[in-house]
Amino acid sequence: MQKTIEVKNLTKKYKTKKAVDHLSFSVLEGEILGLLGPNGSGKSTTINCILSLLHFDEGKITIFGKEMKPNAYTIKKEIGVVFQEVAVFDELTVIDNIDYFCGLYIKDKKIRKDYVMDAIKLVGLEEFTKYYPKQLSGGLLRRLNIACGISHKPKLIFFDEPTVAVDPQSRNNILDGIKTLREEGATIIYTTHYMEEVEQLCDRIIILDKGKVIASGTIDELKALSSIEEKISVEGIVLEKERIEEIRKWEYVEAVRYENSILVVTYKKGKNNLTDLMDYFREKKIEYNKIFSERPTLNDVFLELTGKELRDSYA
Amino acid sequence: MTVFKTFLKVLNKNKFIVILYSVILVFFGFSNMQTKEENTNFVSSKPDLFLMNEDEEVGLTKHFIEYLDKNTNIKNIEKDQIDDALFYRDINYIIYIPKNFRQDLLNGKSPEIQVKSTGDYQASFAQLLLEKYIKVASIYQKMGFSEEEIIEQMNKTFDHKVNIEITSTLDTDRLENVVFYYNFLSYSMLAGCVYIVCLLLSSFKNEKIRKRTIISSMNDRKYNRILLFSNGLFALFLWLCYVVLSFVLLGDILLSTHGLLIVFNSFLFTICALTIAFVIGTIVSNKNAINGIVNVVALGSSFLCGAFVPMEWLPKFVLDIAHLLPSYWYIKTNELVKTIEKINIDTIRPILQNMGMLIVFIILMILITNFISHKKNRRN
Repeated sequence: MQKTIEVKNLTKKYKTKKAVDHLSFSVLEGEILGLLGPNGSGKSTTINCILSLLHFDEGKITIFGKEMKPNAYTIKKEIGVVFQEVAVFDELTVIDNIDYFCGLYIKDKKIRKDYVMDAIKLVGLEEFTKYYPKQLSGGLLRRLNIACGISHKPKLIFFDEPTVAVDPQSRNNILDGIKTLREEGATIIYTTHYMEEVEQLCDRIIILDKGKVIASGTIDELKALSSIEEKISVEGIVLEKERIEEIRKWEYVEAVRYENSILVVTYKKGKNNLTDLMDYFREKKIEYNKIFSERPTLNDVFLELTGKELRDSYA
Repeated sequence: MTVFKTFLKVLNKNKFIVILYSVILVFFGFSNMQTKEENTNFVSSKPDLFLMNEDEEVGLTKHFIEYLDKNTNIKNIEKDQIDDALFYRDINYIIYIPKNFRQDLLNGKSPEIQVKSTGDYQASFAQLLLEKYIKVASIYQKMGFSEEEIIEQMNKTFDHKVNIEITSTLDTDRLENVVFYYNFLSYSMLAGCVYIVCLLLSSFKNEKIRKRTIISSMNDRKYNRILLFSNGLFALFLWLCYVVLSFVLLGDILLSTHGLLIVFNSFLFTICALTIAFVIGTIVSNKNAINGIVNVVALGSSFLCGAFVPMEWLPKFVLDIAHLLPSYWYIKTNELVKTIEKINIDTIRPILQNMGMLIVFIILMILITNFISHKKNRRN
């Protein structure tokens, strides 16, 4: 597969602090790449450098095999960006907003009209074309924001946390839309704090921390990096400190967390961990509401690699 | 075309405010014309006077009273109501003729006349009449005339009339209306330009929308040029509307040299207002702040520079401050044009100097806008 983006040795400093530190990675044609990292890890700086919104100190960025520069208009023609913040005109209706941003790329009126209608259909705003942004809910506004970013049918699309503070209906609509765009052949770079979305959408993931790639690969490849094999969660449980210490000392137990009546025990390996734990509770006459076992999630991998939570899961 | 069309759509959403400023201009321009028409004919007026004579009403005293009766309205008022009458402006002036008035005049002394005055222009006129009588009487007394001869000579003097012929071809009344309209235009133009340009720039130069434009395939310089052109076109359109309105309201006097000078001056001011709007639009990005800024800039400079109140009524320190504002030079030019009888190199020089000041302001504003934009771009 061809490389759509190639970033080599990218370095960006703010005064003396390195926001991006000799970063190298590539994005393959037609894939959805998840760009993950805690706040301040250099995600936004990297994207802004790729888009030539920021000057960088070192490195080279090529898109579609050509060097990306602020005046590389032929490359820019094929790029769409959906920023986290909604960037639309309050004075224009939904259809006029999409038409304006599409018009920055597409001159032909007839083609543009079709493209605008396609974008409206993709994000499901058919009933709201004559609405002004102030008349739309947060979720619909985000959909409009997406339509404005992708209406010119770009080959490469950047999504920067497009589902923040969005209702479930709009979120599903947005994720379905992104899948459709990929099916139509677009290459997508997706940044989010929601692990569930990453697992649902991304073919490959790059985890950034302190401006460097600390891990990359498919979801399974990343999960394989984890030293955890099983995670058992117990809800609605009241435990004394001594009991927690007892569990922590068991063989194969990697870590024990107890917060807000929820106990999470992670195991390096071992069989029958769940039954052992249930037997222990029965023996000690400890009551609980719910107990379940699961494989480590991407969030656990992220936590292990960066020492930080990415973010809580869906609200 | 996409940017220009969107510019028009955003403008269309805010057309109400431009129409409002235009309606204010037309309303005041029209109502000023109505007021002015009532004052086009000259009507002589006499001050209202109360006279208290303590001298014997014979000879010069009698003549003085007759003189006052001829030139003023002598009113009969109860003695205890005199002060009230003066306070309520029922009379403008009170003259107390002393007991030895006639004798003092005949002896070459200045009679001790007591007066009370409202201090207005009618009272000043009464004061002038009084001083004139005493001076003329003193002159003839010093020449050695008898009382009868003094009265006879004074009658001849007072009856003497000077014919004044106005040779001016200037239609001052209509020109006055033109100047009022175009002075007021400085407010409407400045307010309209600042409001609309700031609003449009705050939309198009909004950081998030700018980001989207920069990453698009639209050339950034071309985008800025289109914005500049669109705003310029708006200002030009607004100016043309105001000029057409002035032709409708004021007629063909605007086709005279004086009228055309004023129209050209307003064109220069429009460019100046546009550049001021660009400076403010570059600094301010908050739409909610625009209304307040329009009030401070447009209303403030219009009040300080004499757009609403004639310049001659403004205190000196206000006019000193106004020198720093382009509206002052614009309005000053209009006022100058109004007073020029014939336009030649000598009379047009101060007008050109004032217009030159407007051009200096335009250049200054462009430089400031470029400086701020450059600083902002570097920061971003």
